[in-house]
Amino acid sequence: MAEIKAYTPGIYARSEELVQATRDFDRGRTTAEAVRQRQNEDLRNFLEVQREANFDYLSDGLLNWQDIFRPFDEAAVGLRPGSLTRFLNTNTFLRAPASEAGTPTLTEPLGEPYFRIGDLPRDGWVATLPSPHALAVTAAGELEPQVVAETMIGPQIRWLAGNGCAMVVLQETTLFEGSSDIFVLSEALDALKSPVPLALHLPFGDAGEVLGELVELDVEAIGVDFYATHVAALPRPFPKTLLAGVVDARNSLLEEPEEIAEFGRQLLEELGGDLHLVPNGDLQFVPEEIAREKVRRLGEAARILKEER
Amino acid sequence: MSEVRFVTREIGSLAKPGWRVKSIAGRPVEDPDVEYARKWGARLGINTEELTEILQKGQGFSDSEKAKIQDYAALYGIRLLENSGLDVVYDGEQRRSEMYDHVVKHAKGFETRGTVRSWDNKYYTKAAVVEKPLVEKTYDLEECEFVREHTDRTVKVPFTGAYTIMDWSYDEHYAGESSLLGASAERRSEARRVFGVDAARDVVRPNLAGVVEAGAEWVQVDEPAATTRPEEVPLVVETFNATREGIDARCSMHICFSDYSCLFPYIEELDDCYELQLEFSNRDSLETGTKGADRPGYAILDRFRESAWEGKIGLGVIDIHTDFIEPPELVRDRVLHAASVLGPERIEVNTDCGLRTRSWEVSYEKLVNMVEGARLAEEALNGR
Repeated sequence: MAEIKAYTPGIYARSEELVQATRDFDRGRTTAEAVRQRQNEDLRNFLEVQREANFDYLSDGLLNWQDIFRPFDEAAVGLRPGSLTRFLNTNTFLRAPASEAGTPTLTEPLGEPYFRIGDLPRDGWVATLPSPHALAVTAAGELEPQVVAETMIGPQIRWLAGNGCAMVVLQETTLFEGSSDIFVLSEALDALKSPVPLALHLPFGDAGEVLGELVELDVEAIGVDFYATHVAALPRPFPKTLLAGVVDARNSLLEEPEEIAEFGRQLLEELGGDLHLVPNGDLQFVPEEIAREKVRRLGEAARILKEER
Repeated sequence: MSEVRFVTREIGSLAKPGWRVKSIAGRPVEDPDVEYARKWGARLGINTEELTEILQKGQGFSDSEKAKIQDYAALYGIRLLENSGLDVVYDGEQRRSEMYDHVVKHAKGFETRGTVRSWDNKYYTKAAVVEKPLVEKTYDLEECEFVREHTDRTVKVPFTGAYTIMDWSYDEHYAGESSLLGASAERRSEARRVFGVDAARDVVRPNLAGVVEAGAEWVQVDEPAATTRPEEVPLVVETFNATREGIDARCSMHICFSDYSCLFPYIEELDDCYELQLEFSNRDSLETGTKGADRPGYAILDRFRESAWEGKIGLGVIDIHTDFIEPPELVRDRVLHAASVLGPERIEVNTDCGLRTRSWEVSYEKLVNMVEGARLAEEALNGR
């Protein structure tokens, strides 16, 4: 019987209070410690709403990540935060990694405070990382995805696995232009040598053109944005676990749980395989109050489907 | 042959000084704020007696006092741009909260939903369209008239473009009664197209038309979202043309932080677009040099040369995201390189985008060097 799960990978929305704290910090009106305290409060609230939604994996929401690459840009030798670059088709920007001389290397994996392992249930949490391919392609300068996998993302995944992470979602943002070489991506994923299940998540874009090739990759799951991808584009039967992006993280319109469940039924019927309900990208793209309600509704949709199985 | 002369200007916004922000927001204005107003007033040649007298009250400003403070903020913005030597000025958008918020709070059909991140610890307020949007009066009229009355320079009025309004808004109306979960690409696209064109005709154009009717000779449609979705560049063109329809004034468009290659060939369909003002220096080298290899941030200019679109390029030569003060020689070489690719007659000079995230000190120094760099480029081309 198909397994149904729900969770929310990616960067979660900051509360209005945390927004204000970080603004105040930038303007010299408050301390780093006050910002940390507010982040802790946000994390507690986020974990609580996920528990209430009966999520199968919890996420720490990456509340202190400035963007999906930044902790790696800042920590890795041979990388630095580069120019401001649009994140996919959103009005949010990131610092594209910029490679400097030599092979970029994570001298030691990122731990606290980037991953809040002390607040997360052992073997019950999901981590989100940049795909090594996305990091290499986004970077200014010559970077090989396989090298990024071997020297940075792979060691990080193994550290996460040793610290109770049950699943890693790799955010892949560079496959929508139709020019990417899937073989290079495949080599990079192989080089990760992950001891935990991997999902390759394609947020905010039409994955239809590449899905036929992606299902051949050595990952357990593929993430699809169903607000940009037509369900007809998915291979049948779908040979991987499907991370179905069924909550729109780019719109404030609140989804009806029954509508999500109905769509979930269609996916289960047409595609077979395991179904994981997730947002179609980072929930940081809606205000926190709306993000919280979307989490609740995602959980409710999963409950409906689980009870039917 | 006439001498080369590069027109210089800012793109739109300047930072708002603490005395303006605090007084309007109802927070106490403190002594350092008053001193800042005094210092910059002296620097810009503004008599600060009336302003500082109001500010020294500290808090509890009346509506008329707030209006005076707003006027002074606009005057400081105008003078800062004038004193830095720009040919074309506005008021640094001192009366506007933020380019998106400024529009949606003046239009019917939008409801604020909260704050989302732009990058790092920078955020913006985002609204949802909940019904067909509409602007019923020219809400920028007083702002524009004030600028016109206080400068002899050419005035360029910035307006947030319809595509950006559409793209930056949540859609709780055009998506229809049911959500777009699993919808076809055609249905998703059509919802966005109808919203974009409605925003052009019923939100941007009424305001823009009123300002032009009152005498504005140059309007700039700001479309920072223009290339967010490359497949929607034709919609950007459609919304620009719908905005521009029947407007008897110079119209240009500002786009930034984008992959401009997706503008081709669609910009050829723009109706009478005088110029595209584009960001380049954010992605360029900081070393001097005028050859193509020296100027990686400007590589896309070759595509503009090859394009059938013949408008001018407003060349972004100042990075608005760093405090690095571009030396005049670096500005000169960026301009000279662009002039060698497109011809000097197609080049005008500006910052990459609005300077609102920089302090006035940094903005001023950057602008002064930008103007000086443009003059150095002219000297080089005019054989002096």
